Amino acid sequence: MSGADWLSYSLQDFVMFGPQVFLRLFVRINQDLWPWQLLAVVAAFGIPALFLSQGERARRLAVGLMALAWATSGYGFLVGYFGPINWPATWFGWAFVAQGALLAVAALSGRVPGSRLPVGKFAVLWLLAVSGLPWLAMADSGQWEAVALFGIAPGTTAAAGALVVALIPGPWRWFYLPLLVLWSLFCAAISWVLQTWWLLVTPIATLLLAGAGLWLSPRPARSPD
Amino acid sequence: MANRITRRKFLISSGLAGIALKSPVLFASTPGASSSSPIMRRIPGTDESIPAIGMGTWITFNVGGDTQLVQQRTRVLKTFFDLGGTVVDGSPMYGSAADVMGEALNSLNAHDRIFAATKIWTGDESETRQEAARSSRRWGVERLDLLQVHNLLGWQGHLETLKEMKANGEVRYIGITTSHGRRHREFAQIMEREPLDFVQLTYNVLDREVEDRLLPLARERGIGVIVNRPFQGGSLFRRFQSEPLPDWAGDVGVSNWAEFFLKYIISHPAVTCAIPATSKVEHMKENMGALYGRLPDAAQRKQMADYVRSL
Ligand SMILES: NC(=O)c1ccc[n+]([C@@H]2O[C@H](COP(=O)([O-])OP(=O)(O)OC[C@H]3O[C@@H](n4cnc5c(N)ncnc54)[C@H](OP(=O)(O)O)[C@@H]3O)[C@@H](O)[C@H]2O)c1
Repeated sequence: MSGADWLSYSLQDFVMFGPQVFLRLFVRINQDLWPWQLLAVVAAFGIPALFLSQGERARRLAVGLMALAWATSGYGFLVGYFGPINWPATWFGWAFVAQGALLAVAALSGRVPGSRLPVGKFAVLWLLAVSGLPWLAMADSGQWEAVALFGIAPGTTAAAGALVVALIPGPWRWFYLPLLVLWSLFCAAISWVLQTWWLLVTPIATLLLAGAGLWLSPRPARSPD
Repeated sequence: MANRITRRKFLISSGLAGIALKSPVLFASTPGASSSSPIMRRIPGTDESIPAIGMGTWITFNVGGDTQLVQQRTRVLKTFFDLGGTVVDGSPMYGSAADVMGEALNSLNAHDRIFAATKIWTGDESETRQEAARSSRRWGVERLDLLQVHNLLGWQGHLETLKEMKANGEVRYIGITTSHGRRHREFAQIMEREPLDFVQLTYNVLDREVEDRLLPLARERGIGVIVNRPFQGGSLFRRFQSEPLPDWAGDVGVSNWAEFFLKYIISHPAVTCAIPATSKVEHMKENMGALYGRLPDAAQRKQMADYVRSL
């Protein structure tokens, strides 16, 4: 294909579904899961509580729940619901599952840094993400059943998951970050084409929270000399 | 297909009688025209005719496993058939649209009412037959009516196999597609050399490049023309729907913008069929209105294009 041909393509040409069917994905998964998504709500609010408790086991449990959330939103929402209308969503779905596995291995194989993590700031940002972002799909669709919960909806999960960069030991982080960036670009492109303007906030929040995660990550302790 | 035509004619006329009783407005809107029979176009080189308005499925029928939306799209398809439509265009590229079409055809029990036109869309030129077989399974039809090489992807290999398939009766018609004005030079070369039944290309009241070369060439070579993006992907409505129709719209058999855009296209002598896509029953009714009544002549077509340009 010539360069001129490529120039004739727009972002629109790559989005093969309409806003109605996309926003109904949130409604459908919530209807199909009811009432099990309440467990996801408990996890969303339990994770910062576990961090605040300061125990090593509690922190491990929190990271384990986070890893599970990546996997469930990836396999459930992306592979199960979004994939049939949009193939790249299936690839992202499996990448989310892998991200969950990576998080579990990276954080649980070593120590989950906690003592030097500014848990207060971490908890505030986390709570902002898991309680603020779910309403955006509702704002775009006008249906309360479209609420995009952490652990179910990949956007909210990735945004909160971005903050977890703070907990991942050094080099592992560079495996964890690319999916956050690619996912954010993918979501932003979709929201732009579908004109679901509220949902455009989620990928922006994801990138900002990844930045915040890097900023919050504990610095190596100073050498005593 | 030949044995389907009598049944189809019956279905069309009985469907129309019902619609005429229910919605006299549709028929009253094309004054002076013989509005009760659909505008049919002969497929060049055959005795078969197809309705000049078909439908596309890009985006609109890709609703996945959403049963509520599958049922709603089934109503769109039913409206299409009831109003005399037969030609449905799809592609393996359109996500779940082929499965949704299969489900809709099943629930309407309408496999014998469709002229199933889909595409081969794979870079692997040895996959033609497999992809065709997958498509017929997904659509739930025994034999596809038309197979087109989508956007010329791997066209050499696919076209060779398609020619064999046509010779063996595995498919009735073969063709190639392009859109958005892409690769027209290469497209014309293929039209000149290959024994195609159909080409599919973009043509609408604003995108008229094909009038210069591809449409005359199709006539000269006896190739049927299916027109995609007749509403420029919907942007014609966004741009012009708030504008008034011209005073003389009735003279060209037009009572709304959908009919205006579509009648402009199907009144071109080289065009066999336009395939607008919609997800809405109301829009389908408007679009199918273009299948009836008077068509503009050459001078009126020019007037239509000038009018749109003046807005
Ligand atoms: N290379 C290729 O082979 C190729 C490329 C492009 C297209 N195609 C085929 O051509 C078909 C048509 O092209 P397209 O779907 O891209 O664009 P199109 O038919 O020009 O426009 C479709 C858009 O128009 C809107 N619309 C339809 N009827 C309407 C009405 N009466 N009033 C207001 N809005 C209306 C639809 O929205 P609503 O759903 O709201 O009605 C939809 O957004 C495709 O579906 C596909 O099958 C093939």
